[in-house]
Amino acid sequence: MDDNPVVIIGAGPAGLAAGYELISRNICPVILERAGIVGGIARTESYRDFFFDIGGHRFFTKNEEINRLWEELLGDDFIRVNRLSRIFYRGKYFNYPLRPANALFNLGPVESLLIFVSYCRARLSPSPEENSFEEWIINRFGERLYRTFFKTYTEKVWGIPCSEIRADWAAQRIKGLSLLVAVSNALFGGQQSKSLIEQFFYPKFGPGMMWESFMDRIVAGNGEVRLNSEVSSIHHDTTMITAVEYSDGNTTGKLAPGHCVSSLPISRLVKLFTPQPPAEILSAANQLSYRAFIIVVLIIDISSLFPDQWLYVHSPKVKVGRIQNFKNWSSFMVPDQSKTSIGMEYFCNENDQTWNMQDNELVETATREMVELGLGEKTQVIDSYVVRQSHAYPVYDSEYKKNLQVIRNYLENFSNLQTIGRSGMHRYNNMDHSMQTGILAAKNCSGENHDLWAVNEEKDYLEEDRGVREVPAVPEKVLIGAFARMDKLAFASAVGITCGLLVLGATLWIISRGGDVLNSHLRLLAQYFIGYTVTVKGGFIAFGYSFFWGFLFAWLFAYLRNLFLAIYIYNIKRKAELLSLKDFFDNF
Amino acid sequence: METDKNNDQVLPEERLFSGVLLLNAKVVGLTLGVIFGLGIFVATNWLVIKGGERVGPHLILLSQYFIGYKVTFWGSLIGAAYGFALGTICGALMGWIYNKIAIFRQ
Repeated sequence: MDDNPVVIIGAGPAGLAAGYELISRNICPVILERAGIVGGIARTESYRDFFFDIGGHRFFTKNEEINRLWEELLGDDFIRVNRLSRIFYRGKYFNYPLRPANALFNLGPVESLLIFVSYCRARLSPSPEENSFEEWIINRFGERLYRTFFKTYTEKVWGIPCSEIRADWAAQRIKGLSLLVAVSNALFGGQQSKSLIEQFFYPKFGPGMMWESFMDRIVAGNGEVRLNSEVSSIHHDTTMITAVEYSDGNTTGKLAPGHCVSSLPISRLVKLFTPQPPAEILSAANQLSYRAFIIVVLIIDISSLFPDQWLYVHSPKVKVGRIQNFKNWSSFMVPDQSKTSIGMEYFCNENDQTWNMQDNELVETATREMVELGLGEKTQVIDSYVVRQSHAYPVYDSEYKKNLQVIRNYLENFSNLQTIGRSGMHRYNNMDHSMQTGILAAKNCSGENHDLWAVNEEKDYLEEDRGVREVPAVPEKVLIGAFARMDKLAFASAVGITCGLLVLGATLWIISRGGDVLNSHLRLLAQYFIGYTVTVKGGFIAFGYSFFWGFLFAWLFAYLRNLFLAIYIYNIKRKAELLSLKDFFDNF
Repeated sequence: METDKNNDQVLPEERLFSGVLLLNAKVVGLTLGVIFGLGIFVATNWLVIKGGERVGPHLILLSQYFIGYKVTFWGSLIGAAYGFALGTICGALMGWIYNKIAIFRQ
């Protein structure tokens, strides 16, 4: 082993991707992982040969490098899954994004009408203030739809009223789509094929399979993955991390890193520093918070419960926020196809009432709620298992940006330290984003210079599930040209003048040819243009008539063209907003 | 088609709604020319194929304007050429007038 190895703290997707990248560069890292298995919050746990994923992790990325890596590591064990995930509300399944026929059928005509009226009211008379998430959503979807489909679930996830969640956070999470991009996609299609929006990849035995494969490759390349090794302190001088101390429960170890790459929650990282950082850094770290969640796995003696991979549970009567059905992710997740394993997910804070419930109480609650939701019977539950996951979701409260910046500024003093991953950067990175930060950190260790904080911030890193690309298919100039407003008066005048000149020209042409001009067939125009004759005077009369009718029809044409175009653009924008909200749900 | 020049400071979304469409007179002319030409070509040959005692007694009236035009296949080619020329002139004129007025109104 190198005297000053690259020490990676955490064997989650980010840490393992970093390790793998280092191996490919002939650098042998040491990875320290507190848990007994790899994968971090994307690990796969098992119980009696039932596999379950902590939170459900779809494998989808726009990043070709990551995609190739996944496929290279798993090959045929990487299966394609047809996605089905719906909202479960009042005992019925609602498609998301909402489809009018499905919503109408499930909600009934009266409730649907009320939602529609509420939506119209919000659109016609939006609240001038948009300070909270509640106001932000109501302004876009109406109060009734908000209360039906947004309020309960969001409050379950975050544990605070929607009125206390800042609107700019919502706007950031939903990442408003450029109207030009939406229009371009509607006209020319998105970069990602539809199939990829409705499908995702998944390892046969859950994400853990992927992480184990990473670990095997790292070990085969002479890297080390030390499981059950919890970092106890990080020593530093003013500019460098000088040592990382860890313990496996029985023995302790100390490494002097050449580079240190940490995927520890950033708030925990600074608390492990020896000597301790200044008080303001610790104070900022204490103010960064994370949501935790508990997954109660119920093994049910029934072959099929519902066809979805997961359900969002919007009912305020139950605490469960989401229900995973693992065998619908991959049939290999259950050892016996006559059984079903579901994961009842409870969002909570570490050490709150839910977190501190005993396992048997949690199982009892989950079973009762499953019965209340009408998904199964208590007697069908034959076994259960509980997993608690702390630091699952970084909380974007009103102060987090400021606190995070304080810590970042402090950590920038240490030239051989990089933070990666979701918790490591206190950022809502998905798996691919996290892995990308790891890969870039590894590249930095070998002399390159990448800005890890740019990942998942720039447009290229946004997720696909809004079903759209972020770059228009055609240049903006062309789009703007195609959708620009037609000047009604100008168009009407132009058509009117042209029509008038055409008829005037036709009349003069006939007159100039001589002969029995008055009996020319052109005289039939008098049936419409009263007073018209095939004479010079008649030609000017026809000019007037033609101008009038040409003007009228052309004005109407231009008016309707502008109107329908505006309606078309409005619909595209609404649809894009709905699709972006799908992503919003998917990430919790 | 092209739009008027806009201030680069304006957001694309705003430009999408605030821009006024300007027509490319040549393109409009050529489009209308092709439509007119094709229209006469098809209409003539339709009657030619239908046949009958008197082929195209009404369409032949076009010959009052399009010298040399007949309701025959060769006539359809001559009519198409006339139609194309007339359509092109009308379209280009329409586009030119539209642009002049639209720019003036801004």
